[in-house]
Amino acid sequence: MTRLVEVPTHFDDRSFEQFAAAYAAAGDGTRLLFDAHAAEWASPYGLVGLLAAGEAAQAGGASGAERPLLTAPTHTEVLSYWTRAGFFLAAAELFEIHGKVPRVKPASESDVLLPVTPVRAAEDVHAVVSNLQQRASAILTSELALDPKATMGFAMALSEACQNIVEHAGTGGWVAVQAYNWRRKLARRVVVIAVADAGVGFRHSLEPTQGKRFGARWGDAAALEAALIQGVSRFRDPGRGQGLAGIRRYLARWDGKIAIRSGTARIAIVPKWDDDVPLQEGLSPFPGAQVLIIIPEQGSTTR
Amino acid sequence: MIPHIHVHAVLQESVSEVCLDLVTRPTGRVVRERIERALATTSLDAAVTRIDFTGVRCIDYSCADEIVAKLLDDGRVVLVLSGVSDGHREAIEPVLASRGLAALLERRDGELEALGAPEAAAALVEVLVARRVATRTPGGTLALTLA
Repeated sequence: MTRLVEVPTHFDDRSFEQFAAAYAAAGDGTRLLFDAHAAEWASPYGLVGLLAAGEAAQAGGASGAERPLLTAPTHTEVLSYWTRAGFFLAAAELFEIHGKVPRVKPASESDVLLPVTPVRAAEDVHAVVSNLQQRASAILTSELALDPKATMGFAMALSEACQNIVEHAGTGGWVAVQAYNWRRKLARRVVVIAVADAGVGFRHSLEPTQGKRFGARWGDAAALEAALIQGVSRFRDPGRGQGLAGIRRYLARWDGKIAIRSGTARIAIVPKWDDDVPLQEGLSPFPGAQVLIIIPEQGSTTR
Repeated sequence: MIPHIHVHAVLQESVSEVCLDLVTRPTGRVVRERIERALATTSLDAAVTRIDFTGVRCIDYSCADEIVAKLLDDGRVVLVLSGVSDGHREAIEPVLASRGLAALLERRDGELEALGAPEAAAALVEVLVARRVATRTPGGTLALTLA
């Protein structure tokens, strides 16, 4: 039996909840068909989130080895963008893809600052940081008017977000970085880091060291709060937990935003230019963790 | 003379490919262990050691913690950090502050600045001046008495 999971027409961090609900409703033990034929737009967050769903569906499928199905977008421009963004290279390992996928290489020079890139080990983080700095420094300083100092901070934030997968997910994940016009609130340029995995999630990772401390309150939301707000880590080493704390400092300085979804909860540090909800609980369960980091064009955030 | 460690050179010895970025904990751990081995075998007094970041493009918080904070952790060594860019400083300073540690930052003009947790930084300056490792200049700044 095959169950359908519809990919939202506009697939970003907001419509992700619709996608997560469809994924949760499809349940384990059946082969899933991710239907993206009508997709008109997808953010980097949507693309890496779709890969995480594909990996989880493969692991939880009826036969174990049977890959989930994916119908590719039919809009030529959408198909071209997903290809330039490196989505299909990663997706080919996870899905049985149906539809015509163009044979073009992922973008080397464009708004795609870093195509969808697998992150499985520390070496991958090195490659991601190096590629980003070689390709994106000029764009970050010219288009987004970021101070050159901020570009190094951007690389640090990217490194820490990726290391979160390597150290905590218990599996691999994906990262993508892109610059685009953020129409929702700012109507300005932003640069977005999207990271997703289908691993154990924050609650499972932190439970052995933090579960008792929170007692009855322990859950996905408490785990996210502990990690992002309190800077706790599953490691007892006092130097741990620096990564997310460092990302927060960087974002506070450059008026950026971070949102992390894990399990059934989502936490966000919301700058003045956005109207996101700081903490959401009781969401549809979704495997692993998904991180969204947004840096706006500087001097542009007054509404 | 005080020991002088070129972090970029240590990084190159530690990873298989050409690398300008000090990122990830495993990399930081390998680099620190190489530095510790170098300090253990030097004929110089390693109580004060210069760690030179020239040539390092980026350092993340994990590497700042794994290298700088952990070298300082046992209190046996005073680090003089040189070749530090503003970007490097953004990673190193909060890591030291959060762990109650301090190091000396050597600016290009040779003047020293204590970096890290305020109390630890003030105590570090007092100790170094008392031990005549550093001296207060007529301009009110701090300079190393050792090369």
